[in-house]
Formats: sequence, C-alpha cells, structure tokens
Amino acid sequence: MNGEGSIQLNGKIGTVFTSLLDPEVLKNCIMGCNELTKKEDNTYVADLSVGVAAVKGKYDATIFLADLQPPNSYKLIVNGEGAPGFVDAEAEIQLVPIDDENTELRYTYEAAVGGKVAAIGQRMLGGVAKLIIKDFFKKIKKELEKVNIAD
Amino acid sequence: MSYIGKPVKRFEDARLVSGEGTYIDDLSPLPNIHHAAILRSPHAHARIKKLHIEEAANLPGVMGVVTGKEVAALTRPFPVGVKVPVHYYPIAVDKVRFVGEAVAVIVAKNRYIAEDALTLIKVEYEALDPVVNIEDALSAESAVLHDEVGSNIVNHRFFNYGNVDEAFKNADHVISKKFSFPKVSATPVENYGVIANYTKSEGAYTIWSNFHGPFTLHSVMTAALKVPSNRLRIITPKDIGGSYGIKSGVFPYMVLMGVVSRVLNVPVKWTEDRQEHLMASSSGTDRVSWIEAAVKKDGTILGLKMKYADNVGGYIRAPEPASLYRTHSNATGAYRIQNVEIEAIAVVTNKSPTGLIRGYGGPQHYFPLERMMQIISDELDLDVIEVIKKNLLTKEEFPYQTATGGIYDSGDYHKALNLALESIDYEGFKVKQKEAWKNGKYLGLGFASIVEPSGSNMGYITLAMTPEERAKSLPKSGCSEGATVSIDPQGGINVRISTVPTGQGHETVSAQIVADALGVDPSTIRVVAELDTLTSPWSVASGSYSSRFGPIGSSAVYQAAQKVRLKLLEIAKDQLNTTVDKLVVGDGKISLKDDLEKSISIKRLVGLAHWNTEGLPNGMEPGVHESAFYTLPVAKSPNEKDLVNGSVTYGFVFDAVQVEVDIDTGEVKILDYTTIHDAGNLLNPNIVEGQIMGGLAHGLGAAMYEELAYDERGQFLTGSFMDYLCPTATEIPKVTIKHIETPSPITPLGAKGLGEGNTMSAPVVIANAVTDALKPFNVSIDQLPLSPNRIWSKIHNKSTVKI
Repeated sequence: MNGEGSIQLNGKIGTVFTSLLDPEVLKNCIMGCNELTKKEDNTYVADLSVGVAAVKGKYDATIFLADLQPPNSYKLIVNGEGAPGFVDAEAEIQLVPIDDENTELRYTYEAAVGGKVAAIGQRMLGGVAKLIIKDFFKKIKKELEKVNIAD
Repeated sequence: MSYIGKPVKRFEDARLVSGEGTYIDDLSPLPNIHHAAILRSPHAHARIKKLHIEEAANLPGVMGVVTGKEVAALTRPFPVGVKVPVHYYPIAVDKVRFVGEAVAVIVAKNRYIAEDALTLIKVEYEALDPVVNIEDALSAESAVLHDEVGSNIVNHRFFNYGNVDEAFKNADHVISKKFSFPKVSATPVENYGVIANYTKSEGAYTIWSNFHGPFTLHSVMTAALKVPSNRLRIITPKDIGGSYGIKSGVFPYMVLMGVVSRVLNVPVKWTEDRQEHLMASSSGTDRVSWIEAAVKKDGTILGLKMKYADNVGGYIRAPEPASLYRTHSNATGAYRIQNVEIEAIAVVTNKSPTGLIRGYGGPQHYFPLERMMQIISDELDLDVIEVIKKNLLTKEEFPYQTATGGIYDSGDYHKALNLALESIDYEGFKVKQKEAWKNGKYLGLGFASIVEPSGSNMGYITLAMTPEERAKSLPKSGCSEGATVSIDPQGGINVRISTVPTGQGHETVSAQIVADALGVDPSTIRVVAELDTLTSPWSVASGSYSSRFGPIGSSAVYQAAQKVRLKLLEIAKDQLNTTVDKLVVGDGKISLKDDLEKSISIKRLVGLAHWNTEGLPNGMEPGVHESAFYTLPVAKSPNEKDLVNGSVTYGFVFDAVQVEVDIDTGEVKILDYTTIHDAGNLLNPNIVEGQIMGGLAHGLGAAMYEELAYDERGQFLTGSFMDYLCPTATEIPKVTIKHIETPSPITPLGAKGLGEGNTMSAPVVIANAVTDALKPFNVSIDQLPLSPNRIWSKIHNKSTVKI
C-alpha cells in the first residue's frame, strides 16, 4: 500500500519543520496516540489505539526520524506491533517554501500491515490510511495556527 | 416392505431443527474445565527470538501460558507419509511458517480472560523472506522453509504407464496447456472444538472433539503424544456441524490441547472462532498443472503427459501429500487412454497447511483434464461432444482397468451423456447461441464428464513413496469399517457405527438397512453415531471421508445385520421345527414361507437369547450382539509397477451448464445447471439429493467466488466472510438432477459413494461454459475463481472479436 499527497501549511518553513518534530505536537496530531515519549534522539515510542474495520486494538509503536535535512526534508519510519498484528510504514516528507508565511508539505508513503489487521481489514486499509494521514495534517495545520498566534 | 432405496425422512432432523442437537460446544463432560485462547503469528515466515509471557501469566484468572518449547519437550513431530524430515508440531517452536500459526496457548478461568491475556504477550520476531507461489517454491532460489529438508520440494514422483513415447510419436497434434487451481476451503458452519483432559494416574489423554477421522490420524496423534494407542481416547459428539473433510484438520489442536491439559494439570476447552478457522485451520491445495495431450485428427486421445505441483502450505502433514494421489487411479477420467505419464510434486510455502476436503484432489485434477477436452475440440475444429464420445468408455468395457491401475466397477457413461443432451436440447442451444452473439449477448454451454471415486483404499497414499521405499515397510491395503447391531433383552434394536457422520444422514440409512434385514420399522431402531475409540467397533480406515459410507460403511452395517438375522433364524428354526431355508423374515416376525400363520415374533426370539437360554440351539452364545468388519478385496496395495486401485467404487457425473457472460461487467450468470449422476443403487434418494446439492454448492464456490488469498509477502487477505466469499442461497442456480443406476457388482447393496462429484465437476464445467460463451473473443479460462474482474480483464485485453 502506498500513496502520496501534499498540503499547504501556514508558517515559515523553519517553523513548520520544528513543529513536525515536536513530540507534543506529534502526540496531539497522530490519531489514537495515547502516549508518546522520546526514547533517544530522533526515536520515539508511542502507544496507539487504532481500529480498522472490525479490528480494533493497541499498537506499541517505535517512530524513527531519519535523513534529517532541516528544514527541507526528513524520513519518518513507524514500526507498530500489537494484538491485531503489525504495521510498518515509511514516509518521505519534503517541505517547499511558498512565501514567507506559507510552506507546502509533500509526502509519499509506503505501508505494510500483517496479521489479523491484514486478514480482516484489507478492504478498508487504503481508506483508513488516507483518513489517518489527512487527519494528521489537518491537526498539524491547527497546531501551526497555535504556534503562529503565539509568535 | 423394503426401506432401502426409499426416500425415508432423516431421523436426525427432528432433534436438529428443535434445538436438541448436541455439538462439541454443548458438551461439558468434566468439572473444572478451563478455557484456552491461542496467540497466533502475524508473520508469514519469521524466527521467534523471544517470548515475553510473564505479564499474561500474572493476569488474575489465568491458569498458565504454554509455549512451543514446552510442547516440543513432551511430544514428537507428527509422522507423515513422505521421506523428508519436516518437523511439524502443533505449535511453532523456533520459527513460524504461516500467518496464524500458533505461538502460545493461554488457559484461564474463562475465554474472556484468556483473550485479554493474549494481548499481554510480547513476541520478538526476526522476519524472514517468504515463499508464497508454487512456481517460486519449485525454484532452488527460494528461501527454504525447513532447513532440515534443504529445499521446498517435499515429495516428487514420476510415473509412466503404457507407451507414452509411441503415443506422442503417432499423434497428429500435441496440445500443451498450463492451469492454476486456487486454494479453497469448505467453511463448515461449526468450527473446530476440543476438550482435552490428561490423567496422570492413567498416563492417558481423553479428548472430545468434532473430529471425524480418518482414524489413521489416531496413530499420528499417539505417535506425537508418545503414548500407547489405548492411552489416547477420542470421543466425538453426537452431532457435528459439517466438515467436508476440513474437520480432520483439528487433529493438531487435539494434541496441542492434550499437552496443555497435561502441563497445566486441568481439563481444557478450546473453541475455534471463524477468523482463526479461515486463517489457520485447513484447506485444499492450490495446484499448478501442466498438461500435454497427444491426439489424432479425429479427436482420439492417444496419450497424456501431466505434471502437477500441489502447495501443502507451511508444513506437510498427514494425510498429505495424498491430494496428489487421490485421483491417481482415475487420472484419465472417463476416457480410454492407456498411455500416461505423471509427474507429481508437493511443495511447502508460507501459507496455511492443507488436508482433506470434499473432492480431495478431484477439482484440481479435472480442471485441466476436462478443459483439455474443450481445447482439443476447438483446435481440431470438432464438436466437443464428438470428441468426448470418441474417447468415452462404453458400457461393454466394464469392469475397466485404467492405465494407472484403477478398476472401474460399472457404468454406462454414454447413457448419462445422452440423457443430458436430451434434457438441454443441445442442437437448439447452438442455434440460440449464434443468434445471441449477433445481438451482443454471450451465451455459453460447457460439459464435464467426471468419474467419481468413492471409498478410498488405504494403499493409495503409499504412492508417495517409490516401490523400493514401499518394499521396506509393511504394505497397506483395504478399507476396513466396522458396525455393531445388538438387540437388548426387551427387543430394542441398537446399531453402533464408526463412520462419524458430519451431516450425511448415516443414522437414517443404517436404520433402513437394519430394518430390511430384520423385518422391522426403521423408526423403532436407535443408531448411535458418536464414536469412542475405546468402545466403538472401528478400524484404521474408519471415519467420514472419500464418500465411503455408500460403498463401505453401509456394507459393514449390512453385514452386522445379516449376522443378527442369521442368529435369529437359527433360533427360530428350532422353535418352528424347520430349516432356515424354509423361513422368511418380515413384519417383526419370522414365519414359515409356506405357512405364514406359523410364526414367532422377533421379540420372542430375542427374549429366548436373553431370558431363557436353555431354549437356544446347542452351543449357541446367549444375547444378540454382533459386530462385523467389512473391506473389499479390490483394495489392494500398489504393486511394483505403481499400479493401484485407489478406490473401491467409481460413479459417474455428466454435467451440462449454460451461462451468460456480461462483457461489460465480467459477471457470469448460470442459466441452467443439468447434472446426471450414476452412483449405482441409491440407498435413500432424499439424502442423495441433499448431498448432490451440497457438493455442487462447494464446486460453485471454487468456480466463481472462493479463494484463500495471500499477498506477495504471505499476508493472508481473506480472513472474514466479507473477503472469503461463499455462495449463499441466492447464488445457487436452477439445478436439474437426474439419475441412472448401474449397480456396483462388488458391494452387497450395489451402492457407490456420492456427494463429491459436483465439487469436482462444477469448477471446470463452468470454466468450459464461460470459455464457450466468450469464443468470439478467443478467451480461454485457465485460472479460477471466475471473478468478474478476472473475466473482464480477459475480455478487454483482446482487441479482436470474431463471430
């Protein structure tokens, strides 16, 4: 399963980049994220509750940030494991300044699931992935608004 | 009054429709039963690095957690009929080899707690490269599942019969094709269930399960459990909610729960859920076939070369690789082909393991064979019926010995074919089809001629070994089945059978047979079908599989009833001062043939045997309790030339199916399904009808909807009935069933087995009909199921249309 997309965010490229890496922001923006803690530099562990079709459950996830090229791009790697199965996802995120106040975020992702979530949820998976990603960026946009107001 | 052959209503149904059926999940045979849940692998192929079970084990209400290492310490790998060292345990030990493989078992006070505890186990896996497709598994490049084997090929045999080279030299045409058959299951309404109890004082396992045999697997289980055979007692419930072969795959769970009970010192119950069932129970093999036919211009088939590779999943387990050999004796189907070459291969891949299933190997076998009949006629520009008739055996040729050693006992294939053609108006259809094509409507007609083997011979499975390998062990032959008929002191007639019906009405038919033998009403007879390996009259071939009740199970009941009849006649002869040949049995009594007024009731005769033994003939044992064991002499072990008669009786099915294909959507509509059957003498036409419709629905599922699908990483994708589509009542077309009866000359009642024929024929006959409908597009179906997207792609990849 893979996909791509883009979204326009209000904020300077530097601000956007910093916000995207902020654990507090990530926690607020990832759907079903109950807890997110920094394990070491660029590595976070998270506790996610996600439901795909009839398969609801908790995943222990490790999130790695790699190939960091501030403020232009980075790679986000998520490995989640739990009772419903496992999720391995990798996203490449690229930021392009539009003007002084706006930044375009482009992303591509590849994800694979295994176990019960693949067996039962396969039909819904593409749709659910899109929903989670769209929701993530919608929330990022809101978080950035908070940052911009604070500025 | 004779009851055999009459449409007697099933005695089982009253309890089933009134909620009084007794299934495995209804049983609570012991106090203090605890409940198990199974942790399963989400990976197709991975090494288990570490299992963290402490948190789960400490959850209040949990009795304990059992892992693969503990099970391996108390068991041996299951034996299997091939020479490669595949170590199959009922739970993963170091490695997982398919999605859904058991990794740990949790036992708790109730299932809720057990399921909750599952989420607390953490497993560290090291993912390995998966092997999913048969052709990948055949390649030496593929990742090896079992290091001890060194390759993914677990069985490989070559067979050559007649003079194949000569046949191909003399051929006008040689036609070669490749076909793929999907991995399908049979989805019984009731899933697996096991209650296991280990008693330390006896060193014995008692296991209740909806297992239906074959009881060769009893020996496989005792070997794994390392106990003498009488220390594994298997008890089946009164009712089993369907199996179609699939329930025999419960045996690893019987062993697993037995060991879990032993480790945790508590009786354990496990009921499988539907997701577990689809993911990890059992299924038929998926198969790739390569077939080559040597034919004359007139359509005569001189010889066949067949190569097929079956995918047995992550482990080869008994009775596999038997699906490769089940149809060996009828490899040439209904045709006169004496030159045959067969290459049979079994591979392991990261899919769920396989086993018995309705039609066992037959759907996979007839798909290429019967597709070829249509392909040959197209290539030679002959009418397909002409090609079929040219090669179809005639009634004068029976009993017919096939190239591979099968002995077809009786049949009149041309009569069945002609009856089908009359029923469907073949000539009229051809005109209608041409007209329809012109109007953009795509009608097609397909045929299939299926020899339906029934009552398998123990020996056929040993074809997996070479004659030299076979010579080193004891030969296997026969098809033994037992039954007991007894009459209690007050005249109540009881029958005990070991055929473990799973819905086929064996109780009813047994009562009909005994009623005829003893001249009583069948509704007065009680038939006990629950099996108990410590007390039932069973043998190694017992169980319900290979349609063996018709030819074998019913014969064992018949023989036991005859023993009782003879005993009663012997008693009656003294009482009536006559000889046995002057007596008749009927209306609940035994009478003098010439003077029906002079008679003695069965009840009175039985009373003598129990209450007044001094009135018995000299030397006769008291009581009335007779067991009989039955086998057929035609079930011989394979010989040194690999000739084997794999079944005792061979029925016949001729199908003619009309379809319409919507070329815009790829949807196939079945307009008419006509099926002609010959299963010898029918024992109960009501039950026959139900069995045929059920078998047809299974075949239709494989043809149109069903596939246990996996992605390229070995992830299982069809884990619910939303994804694994089974035909429901609305998908079943109009079906016309007709019978001809050529009695089997080798069974006492002239009966053969049935109920699997249309499972074998429906996939190919529908494929033939769809190919015929799409003739203008020159589309040839070589893969199933016929999902609309597959057909649509086939149509729209062709640019030219020729009418």
